[in-house]
Amino acid sequence: MEAEAGKFLAVGLAGLGMFGSGIGLGILGSGAMNALGRNPEAKDAIVPNMVLALAFTEAIGIYGLVTAILLLFVA
Amino acid sequence: MAKLILGIALVMVLTGLGVGAIGAALLDNDPFVALPAVHIAPQAVVEFGNRSNVWDFGQLFSGFTITNTLISAWLTTGLVVLLFGVGTRSMKLVPGRLQGLLEMLIEALYNFIKGVSGERYARAFFPILATMFIFVAFNAWMALLPVYPTVGFKADGHDELTTHLLRSAATDINLPIALAIIAFLFAEIWGFKVHRISYLKEFFRGPNPIQTFVGVLELVSHFIRLISFTFRLFGNMVAGEIVLGLMTFLLVFLVPIAFYGLEILVGGVQGLILMGLTLVFTVMAVAPHEGHEEEHLAAG
Repeated sequence: MEAEAGKFLAVGLAGLGMFGSGIGLGILGSGAMNALGRNPEAKDAIVPNMVLALAFTEAIGIYGLVTAILLLFVA
Repeated sequence: MAKLILGIALVMVLTGLGVGAIGAALLDNDPFVALPAVHIAPQAVVEFGNRSNVWDFGQLFSGFTITNTLISAWLTTGLVVLLFGVGTRSMKLVPGRLQGLLEMLIEALYNFIKGVSGERYARAFFPILATMFIFVAFNAWMALLPVYPTVGFKADGHDELTTHLLRSAATDINLPIALAIIAFLFAEIWGFKVHRISYLKEFFRGPNPIQTFVGVLELVSHFIRLISFTFRLFGNMVAGEIVLGLMTFLLVFLVPIAFYGLEILVGGVQGLILMGLTLVFTVMAVAPHEGHEEEHLAAG
């Protein structure tokens, strides 16, 4: 296998890491929706905490994306 | 009438598909928009002196490069200073329009900070955190102006621009690194300011080995913030730039507007995240240990 093919395979594999981030964000959203459905008045307590947790989870997926981008354009 | 507009929109979208990358690949033409050239490193616009190796400290003063992201950051800074300067120039008790708009922004940021940190620290935390938000958000929003991808320099022999004059400032990894260092130092300095030296008790804990391990984990997690802040902002901004370029390349007309909307949202959210996470970490750092915080806070 040539080096170029290896590089592109690696890019795809690195991008696969975003899979987990997507599932994590969905779980977060689902938990927030459940909580809001039970108690819509708790919006001020739920939503900022949800956004904070969304940022952390998204960041992990972004690390995978940055790895893929760096592999593709710099390596 | 609505059907006419929808019809025109549909025709534009289909023309875009045909003219852009997909049509070009099928019909063997040149695509209408060129494939975006992705640069990870910022591009130099003006170079003074000669610095061949950025890591060689002997060459520290032998040259300076003005990159396109630096120009963009200066432009944003100038714009924000101008905006706030003009808005606060003859300040009235019942504000005019610009002053009212700026007051809305400041008040929203202040209420957010007060909501997380409490009344006592809100005024102290506000300046740096609000500036972080405004800087990141305005940099990201300014990068959506059509001036950014179109003004630049062409090297000889190229059809497209090789060096842009302006580029979204946070796509240069130096800016996220700088902001991450500021955020890290902000939290740590406030921790030391409030707790004095017993802030270190958070990291070197307890008699039993599990507590010691927890302390080491705390130390590691504090330093990991530097990396996570950097790559969160950098990744979001670079990915946004690439997505915009690629969507314009593939779907030339009308559809990229949705992605511009996404980029506006992402720019605002990333500023908010940077400010909010720094705020939360600082609040955790100044949070009282059980029992004896009143003496520290009265003295500091």
